Amino acid sequence: MNDSAATTKVPVSRRQFLRNGARLLTLTGVAVAAAELSTRSTHAAWVWQIDPEKCLRCGNCATQCVLEQSAVKCVHAFALCGYCQLCTGFFTPEPNELTTAAENQLCPTGAIQRTYVEDPYYQYKIDEKLCIGCAKCVEGCNRFGNGSLFVQIRHDRCVNCNVCSIARTCPGQAFRRVPVDQPYLLKTTSR
Amino acid sequence: MKPEYELLDRREFFGFVTKAAALIGLAGGARARAQGTPNPFAYDISRFQKTDPKLVTYEEVTRWPVPYKQPRRLAIGPNDQLYVCAANHINVLSPKGGRGLEITLAAPAWCVAVARDGTIFAGLRDHIEVFDPQGAPAGRWETPDPKSWLTGLAAGDKDVFAADSGKLLVLRYDRSGKIIGRIGRKNEERSVPGFIVPSPFLDVLIHRDGLLRVNNPGRHRVEAYTFDGDLEASWGKPSAAIEGFCGCCNPIGITALADGRVVTCEKGIPRVKIYSPDGEFESVVAGAESFPENAHACTDLNDCVNGGIHAAVGSDGRIYVLDIVAGNVRVMKRRT
Repeated sequence: MNDSAATTKVPVSRRQFLRNGARLLTLTGVAVAAAELSTRSTHAAWVWQIDPEKCLRCGNCATQCVLEQSAVKCVHAFALCGYCQLCTGFFTPEPNELTTAAENQLCPTGAIQRTYVEDPYYQYKIDEKLCIGCAKCVEGCNRFGNGSLFVQIRHDRCVNCNVCSIARTCPGQAFRRVPVDQPYLLKTTSR
Repeated sequence: MKPEYELLDRREFFGFVTKAAALIGLAGGARARAQGTPNPFAYDISRFQKTDPKLVTYEEVTRWPVPYKQPRRLAIGPNDQLYVCAANHINVLSPKGGRGLEITLAAPAWCVAVARDGTIFAGLRDHIEVFDPQGAPAGRWETPDPKSWLTGLAAGDKDVFAADSGKLLVLRYDRSGKIIGRIGRKNEERSVPGFIVPSPFLDVLIHRDGLLRVNNPGRHRVEAYTFDGDLEASWGKPSAAIEGFCGCCNPIGITALADGRVVTCEKGIPRVKIYSPDGEFESVVAGAESFPENAHACTDLNDCVNGGIHAAVGSDGRIYVLDIVAGNVRVMKRRT
């Protein structure tokens, strides 16, 4: 008789049901928070970067970043550069003459410095404070030159958004996560 | 019994769905706008990719494919036969594209020339192979440096000139294969500026005026040298506009009409143009719109070395244009 009484299910009161429910929710919340924290620790080990081989030089890097001035900057692989007198990344397609006069320059912010090396070679250096990451010079360099100019996300500026706003609109799918200890995808061979 | 929650009526349900759809649409639209917006920083050379029809003085008569892929250069020999080098082959073709003699080489040929007596010279990367008019081997001429990269040949009655993109000079051989001169090396005392060759497209031709013409692509010029290496003249200016030479390094190929006018070939914005012997721009043989495959060669991720055009002139004044990317020869005739 006592055994049968012990196995009889006691109906759960509303109060008990709510209490159990609250406990379950709390446990679930703790589990979710723990999972989130573990994900964040992994997330911090990865950063966004642009694959220069996939970049289409669309201009979105200059306009879609959440920062007022984009975290994307042009970088120059000097080892690949031809040091051309007529650099198509520096000069407009139809320059009046091959000088640094503003009307001859392709860059909308004048962020490329041209310095004479020896006849007929010139060095081209990016002034990152002025560069807005528009990749106009990259297109010029890739179209006619060695492709030594390319864009990269500078991690001293990037805030590493969970969903990069430039990546969302990148038509070349050139953005990807890379390990934080290898944060740049540098070009080592010409096109 | 009173329901615990108020049920939505149909009107409220549809209102909710409409608002949700609008929000999703706005979000998607913003993304689509970002992807579809014209690039405000576009590198626009579209105006150079269409040629003013008034400037085009030639029309295409016919075109035919070359027998092998990866053609590099072509030359005109006796009886207006065409000699095309492609991959490991030299093919002799009739002016209508009919196949004749074929010479198979051990390595890819980068250039070819034919002497007036029919002797064939094939420029492989680091040496020249000589064949008699029937295609039998007649010699092998070495280059003095393993870094040589022969990309242009010109054969005269007594001399053969080989444009070396690797060593930035033109080698002068006698007809026995002995090197008797080096032309175009930077030399301030002789006022020779030196060749700038960012991609392997140095070319040479023997002009009817007795001088050589050599393209200097990094300086966007055509230069005239004596056989002994004195620089006599130069012309050309850098510009994407039709009268100039575009990009980092053009022209990539040169040939000459019987009256001495010079035909130039460019890559990047592929086009074939005619200049007076003094370098005044005269007209266009074929503009960039004529070479759609070639125009793309330098815009995708392929090496621009694989793009380009070369041309040769027949005795009747027709210009044979080899499209390296499309793998065909276009026969261009002057418009009447």
